[in-house]
Amino acid sequence: MRKEYPLTAAQNMHYQWIREYKTQQVSGVSIVASLKAPLDFGLLKKCIQLEIQRYGCMRLRFTKPDEKGEIRQYLIKHDARDIPLKDMSGMTLAEADDVMQNWAYQTLDGDNRPMCEVVMVKLPEGFNGFFVHMDHRLIDSCGLVVMVNDLMSLYTHYRFGAEYPADLADFESVLANDLQKANNEKRFAKDKKFWDDQLDALGEPLYSDIQGSSVLEEARKKHKNPKLRAADIERKQLFVAVKDYILEPEPTKGLIDFCMNHQLSMTNLLLLGIRTYLSKVNNGQEDITIENFISRRSTHDEWTSGGSRTIMFPCRTVITADTEFLAAAYEIQNVQNRIYMHSNYDPALIREEMRKRYGTPEDTTYESCYLTYQPMPVHVDNPFLQSIPMHSKWFANGAATKKMYLTVSHTPEGGMNFSYHYQTACLTEKDMELLYYYMMRILFTGISQPDIKIGDLMAQV
Amino acid sequence: MNRAAEFKKIVAQYCSVTAEDMTEEMRFREDLGFSSLDFMSLLGELEDTFDVELEQENAVQVRTIGDALNMLEELAA
Repeated sequence: MRKEYPLTAAQNMHYQWIREYKTQQVSGVSIVASLKAPLDFGLLKKCIQLEIQRYGCMRLRFTKPDEKGEIRQYLIKHDARDIPLKDMSGMTLAEADDVMQNWAYQTLDGDNRPMCEVVMVKLPEGFNGFFVHMDHRLIDSCGLVVMVNDLMSLYTHYRFGAEYPADLADFESVLANDLQKANNEKRFAKDKKFWDDQLDALGEPLYSDIQGSSVLEEARKKHKNPKLRAADIERKQLFVAVKDYILEPEPTKGLIDFCMNHQLSMTNLLLLGIRTYLSKVNNGQEDITIENFISRRSTHDEWTSGGSRTIMFPCRTVITADTEFLAAAYEIQNVQNRIYMHSNYDPALIREEMRKRYGTPEDTTYESCYLTYQPMPVHVDNPFLQSIPMHSKWFANGAATKKMYLTVSHTPEGGMNFSYHYQTACLTEKDMELLYYYMMRILFTGISQPDIKIGDLMAQV
Repeated sequence: MNRAAEFKKIVAQYCSVTAEDMTEEMRFREDLGFSSLDFMSLLGELEDTFDVELEQENAVQVRTIGDALNMLEELAA
């Protein structure tokens, strides 16, 4: 008889989005990884099939929802599927990207079925590789990068005699361990106390929008509540657009050096940049909350087991105008460190507690901005392939659950990519331009004058 | 297994240094490559494993394996 497990908090976050937004599309994650080299597709197929066997999360399936709408997960022992090959070598790279973008929009509907798809691709300009489309409940972006590297290692082992890659951690064991940790009553009580204490100390959070205070004012009118502190979530028009901005290597180095010299993490500096912008466009609002995603991968097993380990927690800080830039960064760091220590907690319970305490209306939120910082570069870390040009690309699933979701990653050239995913129902490219422009002005003014007061900084930029 | 050995075994799960090769002078961030998330996750695991309550203000001052072991010994005393 197969062994079934409940969802982890991270998986449940995605599942709840699927239910709330009524489409599995919100849970899709897709990447293409290719090399400018002729590939042996017969061998690549064998390696992909082997990878599915090695990387257990690719064999994960979900049960049909029960009467409460809850689902469970289980692994199938073998998945001997065929891996199709799509020849797009006659297209332009942009046309091929369009085809793959459409694949990324597809939903993996139904239960008791495979939740990942892999296609080998022949791309234009001599690139060859594979495209992977998965449900986020199976994997997060870090997990996908590990998978791409492992698959390439398998290929170079069989093709060039490279060393066989080390075993990956057993997905099922790590899953069982996670669920056991989540059920530790003492740990749960400590985590709950931490989050409850924050609400005891600060009270109900206050919404702040990228477009300014008018958004909250509109929500107050709509709900006929002039004291409402949350704003509406867009549930129907989920179309997302993406705007990328590249920060050049030299200014990037400036940010990295500032972080290193002041023992700050980049995440906290970025959170400070976003919150200062939100404060600036919301009449100097001091109480700001941003949802920050963390990838709960610390141990070897957590790094190599696959699975969906990324989860978001609200980073709430109250920073006054007379706080100096560096002190504000440390304040955020202090809050984030506490959050990391309590990141086993299910963030759905934080929202539930707020609804209970403050009667937050359905379909409203306290946050407009979501941040993911990815220190892990997307490249094939394989000595046999280092001299070969690579084309890899993430494809958005086309349906946003969040008003604005910023992913910051590092480029192979030493710069940083600021990728803004935004709901087009509410935001425009101009809003993203303004956000990026002011974030950069705030960050670079701040790192050049760390003792500048936040109020002066907002006035100066 | 004594407390120090058990502690090192846990730390080794987070880095590429084995418990046997771990010295008290080794620094979490610089020598063992811990990120803030790794370090705070480790603290949570130490609390659960050794059944102690860590004060975050004190815990974030910990720099080395030796510092952490001393902190654990004091809390367990």
